Amino acid sequence: MKISNELKVGLTIIIATTVFILGIRYFEDLPLFKTTYDLSAEFDNAGGLIPGNLVRVNGVTVGGVNGVQISRELGKVLVKFHVNRDISVTEGSYVFVSGIDALGAVRLDMILGPADAPLIPEGGRVTVNTETGLLGGLSAKAPGMIDQFSHVLEGLDTVLSEAGTMLSEPGSDLRKTLRSVESSVSELESMLAAERGRVSSILLNVEEATGSINTLASTNGPAITQLIADLNKTITSLDGEIESLGKASRNLDLMLTKINEGQGTIGLLVNDPSMYHKMDSTLNSLNLLMTDFKANPGKYLGEMKLVDIF
Amino acid sequence: MISVTNICKSFHGKEVLKGVSLDILEGETLAIIGRSGSGKSVLMKHIIGLLQPDSGTVTVDGININNVSYAELRSIRQHFGVLFQGGALFDSMNAFDNVAFPLRTFTSMSEKEVSNVVKNCLDMVELPDVGKKLPSELSGGMQKRVALARAVALRPRYVLYDEPTSGLDPETSNTIDELIQSLADQLNVTSIVITHDMHSVLNVADKAAFVHEGRMQWTGTIPELHASEDRILKRFVKANEYLIGV
Amino acid sequence: MIAVTKKLLLNPFQALGRYSQLLFKAFGAVPEFGTYKKNLWEQMVRIGVDSMPIVMLAAAFSGAVTTVQTSYQLVSPLIPRSIIGSIVVPSMVLELGAVVTGFILAGRVGARIAAELGTMRVTEQIDALEAMGLNSIGYLIVPRVIAGIVMFPILYIAACFVGIGGGMLVGHMGGFVPMGEFVDGAREFFQPFDPIFGIIKSLVFGFIITSISCFMGYYTKGGAEGVGRATTQAAVASCVFLLIADLILAATLL
Repeated sequence: MKISNELKVGLTIIIATTVFILGIRYFEDLPLFKTTYDLSAEFDNAGGLIPGNLVRVNGVTVGGVNGVQISRELGKVLVKFHVNRDISVTEGSYVFVSGIDALGAVRLDMILGPADAPLIPEGGRVTVNTETGLLGGLSAKAPGMIDQFSHVLEGLDTVLSEAGTMLSEPGSDLRKTLRSVESSVSELESMLAAERGRVSSILLNVEEATGSINTLASTNGPAITQLIADLNKTITSLDGEIESLGKASRNLDLMLTKINEGQGTIGLLVNDPSMYHKMDSTLNSLNLLMTDFKANPGKYLGEMKLVDIF
Repeated sequence: MISVTNICKSFHGKEVLKGVSLDILEGETLAIIGRSGSGKSVLMKHIIGLLQPDSGTVTVDGININNVSYAELRSIRQHFGVLFQGGALFDSMNAFDNVAFPLRTFTSMSEKEVSNVVKNCLDMVELPDVGKKLPSELSGGMQKRVALARAVALRPRYVLYDEPTSGLDPETSNTIDELIQSLADQLNVTSIVITHDMHSVLNVADKAAFVHEGRMQWTGTIPELHASEDRILKRFVKANEYLIGV
Repeated sequence: MIAVTKKLLLNPFQALGRYSQLLFKAFGAVPEFGTYKKNLWEQMVRIGVDSMPIVMLAAAFSGAVTTVQTSYQLVSPLIPRSIIGSIVVPSMVLELGAVVTGFILAGRVGARIAAELGTMRVTEQIDALEAMGLNSIGYLIVPRVIAGIVMFPILYIAACFVGIGGGMLVGHMGGFVPMGEFVDGAREFFQPFDPIFGIIKSLVFGFIITSISCFMGYYTKGGAEGVGRATTQAAVASCVFLLIADLILAATLL
């Protein structure tokens, strides 16, 4: 059968138009055939939210932001968004902006209210909670910091144990050992100074967090449990870090004792006065030479003068 | 009746027609002769308004075709059938569709009527069986005959032939000449044949117009042509006789 | 020397003048629908439907290549993999979908139109049309330009669809970015105006390619060589003006 030109063109146009419309709806995150459920929220600060940003519930994408506009009569930012119809947004649900604005990855997170509460009607307002953002920021930061901390300690640990073994071998290279000890000690020193600030900032963060927990206590039970579990974990890992710090200190102690007792090359160097005497006499001779040079420059520069004249 | 009055035309500063006048009467067969490049084809294109003269006028049945709207000009052109030098068949269509094209475009004939007329026209040019063939599958002479069938499909009052026999062997040329004659007789059309082939002129024409270097050198009937004392015309005719060889 | 300079300076303006004149005549012939109705369907099939496979092939590859290259350039663990989706989809929708299609059509359709009309001109077929009393511009040029304007957006949609699909598939199979993340990233930065802009662009491209090629073909001079020249010029000029239009549209509409 020969397909007529009209039919070919018509079919192509219809298919393309359908693909186009469905494609736009797909990337706008509108359900392809279902209608959506429109909601809105009033923010003091939209935190970089733009239309097209995702709406998530417990980390699952359920919709998108339709519009962000400053409402003059409310004096606030009105954020309109939609969620899939199978998500039941009940009274007591609240939303907050999360993500890092600088990376452009901002989204609207929503915590659903109790399942038995009445549904918020289509086009209704959802409560906004700004505190949650801070808490989220802290729990995101803490594990990274602890990791870094433990990394440094581990490095120190290996350096120290290496130094210890080297000290017990009298034949090892003096300069290498000296450099190792020097860098280890300065590293330890700077670290102790830095960690003092960090520990206090951790405590400050914990304090902030406790503040957040207090304000949250009335609104949300499960989140607090989660937070406490997180904090517990943090504390446990902190315990481990402190233990390794102790170990490191003990190692250092041992090393210093050995040096004091004159063990190993470095010990000998520290405890043997003859080197000091030798250097002293060398410097004395140099001094004498300089004095002589100042007094009788001709004695040393005679030949050079001849060159100068010609 | 067509009258060409004193037309001049130049292309890129080169004067091709330098004031040509010509009258073509109803029912006659006029041959416009001249050497290659003398301006014959340009003159023909002026007659159907494909070119606009720089000065002078062309009137067809009393209407100045240089002074009418494009739509009017197109309706006047429907009185003309033109056989172009290479046939100018539409190479995307087969012979049948080529002949049927003006019928389908300008008349409200049913497909059956179109088919009858096309068959009739193809019979007239003695090619009844080529309908399904594409122009590229036809020989040069056959292409010209199909093009002739297309030119007369709408029963025009004027038929213009642009070098109908050029590039064809003498036998095929004779066939074309006979066709031109028989079409003129059967359909009672006014024919204008542009050619440099004197043999063809003597075969088909009642009158001849000799164009030389952009000017109308000589006009007259065929007997007058033989008797003419015009030096340039005589040279042209003589050259052709040598060419024909007999 | 002066004559050459004068020619070089005047030619572009002369060409532009003749091009506008041709467009003006074509525009005047648009209402005579009967003249080109049958041709219009045929040209739509030839320009649109028949170009589908090659356009889709090119688009699929450009989508795939964009995905692979984007993921090659984004090696930082700080940047989520979904960003690949948010780069590939807009590049396809805003630029590649229309421009890749444009270049292919400039070569495929533009050259063919110029060769077709050029041959018709040098074999006097255009004169034959005119001599019959037909509006040759209406009969030959109008359906081609309309078919270009109508079918180019259709090809653009197909190119985007296949291109994004190709990118997604290669990203998934090549282990650069799973489909879900790709789509999430695309959605995050999706602007509904982007595809509209792409459609506007493809309308303009369709017009540019077909009208320029018609112009080159319609005014062909000088036999077979002239046809060859017209064909080359049509493809080259289409590409050049397509790029210029691309820039102007991006500067004014985005």
